[in-house]
Amino acid sequence: MINEVRESVLAIVNKNNYGYISPSDFNLFAQQAQLDIFEDYFYAYNNQLVKENIRRSGSGYADLTKGLSEVIDSFSEEAFLTRVLISNNYNLPDDYYLINKVFHYSSLLTSGTNTLNLVNKLVDNTQSFTSSLVPIGSIVVNIDSKSQAFVTAIDSATTLSVSTDLNLAAGKPYQIFSSKNIREVERVTQNKIFYLNNSNLTAPTNSFPAYVLGGATSTTLGNTITIYPVTINGAADIKVQYIRYPRTPQWTYVTLANGEPVFDQSSGTYVDFELPVSDEYGLVNKILEYAGISIREEAVYNFGKTSDDSETQQES
Amino acid sequence: MAYLNGYQYYNNEGENPTNKNWGSYQYVYLNDIVNNFMLMYVGNHELLNNLNRYQVLFHAKRAIQELNYDAFKEIKALELNVPTTLRFILPPDYVNYVRLSVYRNGYLFPLVENIQINSATSYLQDNNSNVLFDQNGNILQAERSIVDQERINGAKKSIYLNANSPYNGKEGWNIGGCWYFDYQIGARFGLNTETANSNPTFRINNKAGVINFSSGMSEELCVLEYVSDGMEGGDDASVSVNKLFEEFVYSYIKYSILNSKFGVQEYIVNRARKDKSALLRNAKIRLSDIHPGRLLMNLRGQDKWLK
Repeated sequence: MINEVRESVLAIVNKNNYGYISPSDFNLFAQQAQLDIFEDYFYAYNNQLVKENIRRSGSGYADLTKGLSEVIDSFSEEAFLTRVLISNNYNLPDDYYLINKVFHYSSLLTSGTNTLNLVNKLVDNTQSFTSSLVPIGSIVVNIDSKSQAFVTAIDSATTLSVSTDLNLAAGKPYQIFSSKNIREVERVTQNKIFYLNNSNLTAPTNSFPAYVLGGATSTTLGNTITIYPVTINGAADIKVQYIRYPRTPQWTYVTLANGEPVFDQSSGTYVDFELPVSDEYGLVNKILEYAGISIREEAVYNFGKTSDDSETQQES
Repeated sequence: MAYLNGYQYYNNEGENPTNKNWGSYQYVYLNDIVNNFMLMYVGNHELLNNLNRYQVLFHAKRAIQELNYDAFKEIKALELNVPTTLRFILPPDYVNYVRLSVYRNGYLFPLVENIQINSATSYLQDNNSNVLFDQNGNILQAERSIVDQERINGAKKSIYLNANSPYNGKEGWNIGGCWYFDYQIGARFGLNTETANSNPTFRINNKAGVINFSSGMSEELCVLEYVSDGMEGGDDASVSVNKLFEEFVYSYIKYSILNSKFGVQEYIVNRARKDKSALLRNAKIRLSDIHPGRLLMNLRGQDKWLK
């Protein structure tokens, strides 16, 4: 989609010889435009819910909330978190926009180190895997990379088949968790955590754990969560489901002899827009706004702005 | 909690304790209550929104506590030997007692509560009855008061009841199981029928967390029937409530949250309150076990021949 957007932008901008936008400028504008529209999804989603509650939204094809949540869900990722030393603090992923759910895998079935690296296999010569110890569907986690897979078969007492390749080199540690007894860890504000920990009825327990976001130092912003009760401090038993930021779009090119850049989709750094095709119009308008300011052309800016406003008005 | 298959129910899949799941189908667990409530009653289109789970957990536990106090018939019984100090330490999950009995010769004899004080704290005093303090200004206390010591020694008078004895109804001392009486001069009047009982008596010291007995209970086997609050010693995973009360617990949580939330219309709060009260009554009736079989058993008693 990124090439279509760029061509549209250039077509509008070049129509009256307003100016030329370099690939690096375009990539910057594209990133800003995508982030802007990405954030708008959350506001639009909220507006739509309010409308639903006052019966100003329909169902079926008129169910706009569904479409909005689908786009947001397409940015949903899951990851096991890395523990900060031996503590109840865990580092959050760098690319998270918002943390939706945090889970604690409370039933550790077994752990060990991989003996032999085979594709889609876990081999541990020190183990004696049985179906009662490791039922089918149990979750295997690579402690180092935090990648996960499900147990699909017990090949032998020392070998398991897993759903995806864990890239577990020989000598690397793993843990296997039960797919039952997964607890949601509840987000609690820093304001409340003290009272919660001192509450006789609602203090965090293994059944109802809680976390706070924080971990800032004098030089770095906080990007860790602290889990309560403090006894929850396993190396790889905290998993997070989060909405990540869209990846930075990169319009990549090869330069021909006459100096004109030509789109090159095969480049290793190529990244397309991650928003749906329906947002192409919005992306063009947003980029035109930025480009209009950049090349100091009021008409370009106004065109982008007006188109953008009318689209927003139509959607709200 | 997921449904159990037969092997899981009867044998707990061979794991100890194998009887863990027996009768578990009668109950719904706290985890399930909180999970179901968050799923069904909290959301963008529900009455309740933007709630923290701990709020739901708090009110769910409060609902279970309230049910344990006055609706459940789940009475716990604890058997303990009463030591020579005549003191029975209350169990850790004790909230209130139902009945206290002494177990003798294969029978349980219910004990009556002594309405008079049978235990007291004693401050140390000098010859002039001045209270004594330590260097920090704290009052010095005796290990045992005279009242306690005499009760433990059996030196305190109590009433002897034995219809076949000439000393029936007279005050005496029970020391080591033997009764001693004053040399009788003249007549005796005014038996306190309220406290007269051949069995030992007790009085619960709630603050101290003990039951103090009269001297006759030394080395006797005591059975305490009591109610708890259902919190299972803080083990959230074990907290459960009978399924007959499940809907009440949801309505209790809903009402409690709506009642304390800002800006909720009064008619919505009232509707939730009525809902809660009606469901409590409904569940109490269900739990009262009024069913034809049991009524029939009682009615059969009307035709009993009396000699």
